[in-house]
Order: sequence, then structure tokens, then C-alpha cells
Amino acid sequence: MSWDIAIQRTINNNVPRVYKILKEHPYILDLAKSLREAKMKVLSNLEEYIEQTLESVKRTGGNAYFVKDANEAKEIVGKIVGKGKTVVMGKSMVAYELGIRKYLKSLGNEVWETDLGEFLIQLSDEPPSHIIAPAIHMTKESVAKLLKEKLGFDVSENSTHEELVRKVREFLRNKFLSADVGITGANAVAADVGSIVLVENEGNIRMSTVVPPIHIAIAGVEKIVPTLQDAMNEALVQAAYAGLYPPTYVNVTSGPSSTGDIEMKRVSPAHGPKEFHLILVDNGRIKASKDEILREALLCIRCGRCHLHCPIYRVLDGSWGDPPYSGPMGAMWSYILNKDSKPAMYCTHSGNCKEVCPMKINIPKVLEYIKYLGNKSA
Amino acid sequence: MLGKLIYENLQKYGFPYPLDKKICSGWAKDIPKNGPTIIYTSCMHQTASLSDVYSRFIPYAEKLSSLSFLGKFIKPKKEELDRAYLVLNKIANLLKKNGIEFGYLYEDEPYSGAILLELGYLDEFKSHAKQVYEFFKNRGVKKIITVDPHTHNALTRYSEFIQFDIEVVNYLELIKDAKGVTNDTFVIHDSCLYSRFLGLRDSYRNIINKSGIKIVEDELVTGKDTSYCCGSPIKPINPELSEKIAKARAEQLTRLSKNVLVVCPMCYANLSKYAENIKDLAEVIE
Repeated sequence: MSWDIAIQRTINNNVPRVYKILKEHPYILDLAKSLREAKMKVLSNLEEYIEQTLESVKRTGGNAYFVKDANEAKEIVGKIVGKGKTVVMGKSMVAYELGIRKYLKSLGNEVWETDLGEFLIQLSDEPPSHIIAPAIHMTKESVAKLLKEKLGFDVSENSTHEELVRKVREFLRNKFLSADVGITGANAVAADVGSIVLVENEGNIRMSTVVPPIHIAIAGVEKIVPTLQDAMNEALVQAAYAGLYPPTYVNVTSGPSSTGDIEMKRVSPAHGPKEFHLILVDNGRIKASKDEILREALLCIRCGRCHLHCPIYRVLDGSWGDPPYSGPMGAMWSYILNKDSKPAMYCTHSGNCKEVCPMKINIPKVLEYIKYLGNKSA
Repeated sequence: MLGKLIYENLQKYGFPYPLDKKICSGWAKDIPKNGPTIIYTSCMHQTASLSDVYSRFIPYAEKLSSLSFLGKFIKPKKEELDRAYLVLNKIANLLKKNGIEFGYLYEDEPYSGAILLELGYLDEFKSHAKQVYEFFKNRGVKKIITVDPHTHNALTRYSEFIQFDIEVVNYLELIKDAKGVTNDTFVIHDSCLYSRFLGLRDSYRNIINKSGIKIVEDELVTGKDTSYCCGSPIKPINPELSEKIAKARAEQLTRLSKNVLVVCPMCYANLSKYAENIKDLAEVIE
């Protein structure tokens, strides 16, 4: 029952807001169209763009790596972080996909998710129920209960939304200041200049990328776009279709911090991190990019809009798809990453998802194909 | 494998499960047999009410050596069959009134293969489509009038799989004039396929608006990208989930109006359990 209430509130809050944003800012539709073309260009020639991106990041003074799977990713992150450190994470679904948080904890690090929703997911040890609002399944009352039980916060079911957020902010503030490493994802990675772009509203990503001396960004290779302009477009389009426009913060990171303020000699670091690392992750993406139909799934910009228009997601209590990916996009991604065709079998080709997708992915068609592949291998 | 079972049934019984084909043709009395233009039911309206029964057999079906015994005793309830026959006759009369001439294949009418397509058995769908196409060609069929969205979807997708040169048109595209036979206000439950895949959302909305029937709309319930599925397509995979979707959808709809209007026999079958006053479009116009 709690899910029904939570999802209905979310739909009523979000769906009309996205309609309004798109109506008031029609240029978003043009940006989405050109973004699709830009992303398709990369996906048709992914390996070359990966090479270009790795070189571009190195030119900015950053370190760049390409990893095939979760084990390779963990090895690199583990080497950079070490043990006994404090790590703050800005919501990264790829980091969840690879199991980075739990791995770093197992090495003896203190690790905190700093996106509020992801922080609640960490405390409750539940899988995220939505790609951009991972704690969508929790009501205000259940959040209060969780914070009281797990961290001893002085809150109750009568606490307001504002009080709950303030308590978490106070708790995490010290973690940001004492953190040795910040780990984020990336909404987009610009192949031409090696910059990453991150869009957010809480401010946690800005702090995670700037305050700790080391910043690690982990991104799927499908996040590469040809230019920084495309990357900025992706941030704006993602924010608009997620229903949060204008976004409060868009962060561009191009290598470690630096200054040229003494005799214009450029030295690094300045106030921000001394090290920047970008880890580009394959984990099945390159193989999918070579299949004309599955390639479409890689266009997903993680706006989470398809979820809120899908009858299956609605009635399955947010647990449709292999975590952290859920909903119609999660049904596609469960196959791409894990060869799991079961979530696709549940698609009723309602078709709302393809109507609202900013990248015009024909999701029911991709899922029909995954059903076919799953049936064939059964 | 479910797809193999369905395909075998199609070879043996001409339908996804064993069925007395007289059930399919019983509605038609005075329609000429064969003809260059045919009305094509694919036995969807006639059997929609059986989908619950057969989906319950699926978990056991692969263990049984033969299903033929099922066809002997599983039949639609009389009132459900009478209603389906009435809907088909009303559609046929609407077509005649609009000056359309057509024949019907009666018990020889093949099944479209829609269920294979929708469950992702694409190789089996392709083989079946070939057989259906050859059958139509041998009968001299040049134009097919479909009367439900699943069949229309399957036929319009044949050309993705096989060479297919028969014209396919839906009855909603042919009805230019119809008047309402009710003063009630309805909420439309859109067919997912008609509305979002086949470009027919405006066809039935135009018919309804011209007929004088009053409808109530809500952006979050009947909008093109917000109106939900009835749950029917998932029934063979997960009947419980199908029911859950149907119930949720019926609750959304009946909050707007107790009178629900559908344009698909599968939507009717699934939603009628949760929405008391539900009608097919053909039942409220003439």
C-alpha cells in the first residue's frame, strides 16, 4: 500500500511538471533531437571514441582507464582509494552496477552515499526503485523511522520533510569535509576535450567533486558524446525530462584543479582535487553497440521518465529489472549487462515509454527483441 | 517452450489452443463466403473470454501429451458468446451502412499469429505468417478488414518478416458515419496498439465525437502517453500481474466515469471483471 501511495504522489508531482517544462522551453526538443544524433554517432563507432576520450582526459592532466567488467573496475578503484579512508559518493548507478561501495567498505574504508535518496538506500540496504529517485518507494514516515533506527536521529513520523533533510545535511557535512576521495558518475563525457558533465540539484555532487583531494568518475562507455557542447546538451535534456528544470547545478570537470595566478605559471592542484581519474566501463555495452536493435538501449540518458508512464513498473512495486536499473529502461539494461531476459518478458507493449522517451528509443521493440533472444536461448 | 506449443496447436487446431472452430464462425449468417475483400476476426472477439481459462493451463500444458480434450469442454459462456456475436454483427452492419462490401471465410478463417509476435516468438511468427499469407492468396483475398487491434497489429507487421502484398485496413478507418445509441457519458480506455502503435487513436475518437456520445478526458488517465494497458498481454506469462494491472486501470477509469468504453475484445475481457458498466464501441453506435 505504501508503494501505491508513494508512486501516485510521484506521478502527480512529476508528470505534469515535465509537460510544463517542455511546453515552456521548446528548444529542449531540438536539443534532444541533436543529442540523439550525436550519441548515435558515438555508438556506431564506440571503440574509436573510447580511445579518443582516454587521450583527451590525459591531456587535461587526469588519469583515464578503460575496464571490461566489475572486477577490473574494483581493482583500479581499490588501488586509488586504498584502505582506512573516508569516501563520499555522489549518486552513480554505474558504481552500484559494479558493486563499488560495498567493495570499498570491505577493504576497510568508511563510505557514504551523499545523494539523499541513495543515502536512504544505503541505510536501508534495499535496491533502488527508480533510476533518478532511488528511494521513491519510501514515504516520509518510513524515512523518519529509518533515520531514527539506523543513525539515532531525533526524528519522528511527525517530522517535516525539511527537518529530515536538515538532519541528513548536518550528518553528511562533516563527511564531505573529512573525505579523502569523492566518487561520482557522469551524465556525459566529452570525447573531444575529456571533460565530464554532471547535473544535479542537491549540491552533493559539486562537493564530492571539489572538496576531497581525489575525484574518481565512473561512467559507462555509452556516456561518451563527441563534444563538450553535446555533453552540456545532455545535462540540460536529462534535467528537463526528469522534471527538474533549470537544474540547480551543472558541473564540468576537466582534469585536476589548477591555477596560473602566480606569474601565469599553471600549477596543480589549486583548491580542488589534486587527482582526477575517469574509469570508462564496458560490462557488455560494446557488444550491445554492435547489435542494431540493442544499440538503441544505449541511447538512454537516465531521465527516469519511462518509469512513470509504465503500467508494469507501476504495479510491480518498483522491483522490475536487475538493480540498480528498473522500469522499461531497466528491462533493456538487465539484458545488456546480465543477459537477463526475464524482465523483458513482462513488457505488455503498452507503448507509453516510447512516446515519452527523449531519445525516441522504441523501447517495446527492443524488449520484443530481447524476448526473442531469451526465448531462443531457453 | 510456450512458443513451440502454441505453434504446434496452430498446426493442429488452427488456433493457439484447441478450439471448436464453429465458435468462431457462429456469429455470421448472411455474409458471402470468400471474396476479394473480407472481414477478418481471427476469432479474437469470440474467444477473448477464454483467455483466463487457458492462461491457467499454461504451466501444465507442456507436461500434457495432448490438449485436444480441452477443446471439447472449454467453451465461452453463452452470454459472453452472444455478446461477442452481437458486437461482430454490429461491426458488420456499420460497414454495410457505410457502403463497404465484404465476404467472410467462416470456419476456414486462419489465426493471425498475434500471440507469437507479442510473446517474442518471432521465428514461429514468421513461419505462421507465411502460411496465412499463402492461404489468403489461394482464396483470392486482396483486402482484409480487421476488427481488433491485436490482429491489425500482427497483419500490418507481416511485411517486416515476409513478402506481403495484401491491403490491410481496420474497420475504424472505414466508418465515416455512425450515431450514438446512448445518453451516458463514457471514459475511453484506449487500446495500446491502436493508440500508440497503429495511429488509430484519432479514428475512434472522431467516430465517438461525431456520434454525439459524451466522453470525459483527464490528462493523467486518458492522455496519449499516460493511458495504461489493461493487463491482457501479460496474462500467459503472469496471470496475477495481469489482474493487478486490470484492477489498477479499472480504478483509474471509474474514478472519471462508471461507464467505460473499449475498442478491443481483450481489454473488454480483462477490464469487465473490475468495471461494471463497460461497452465495446460497436455496442453504443449504429
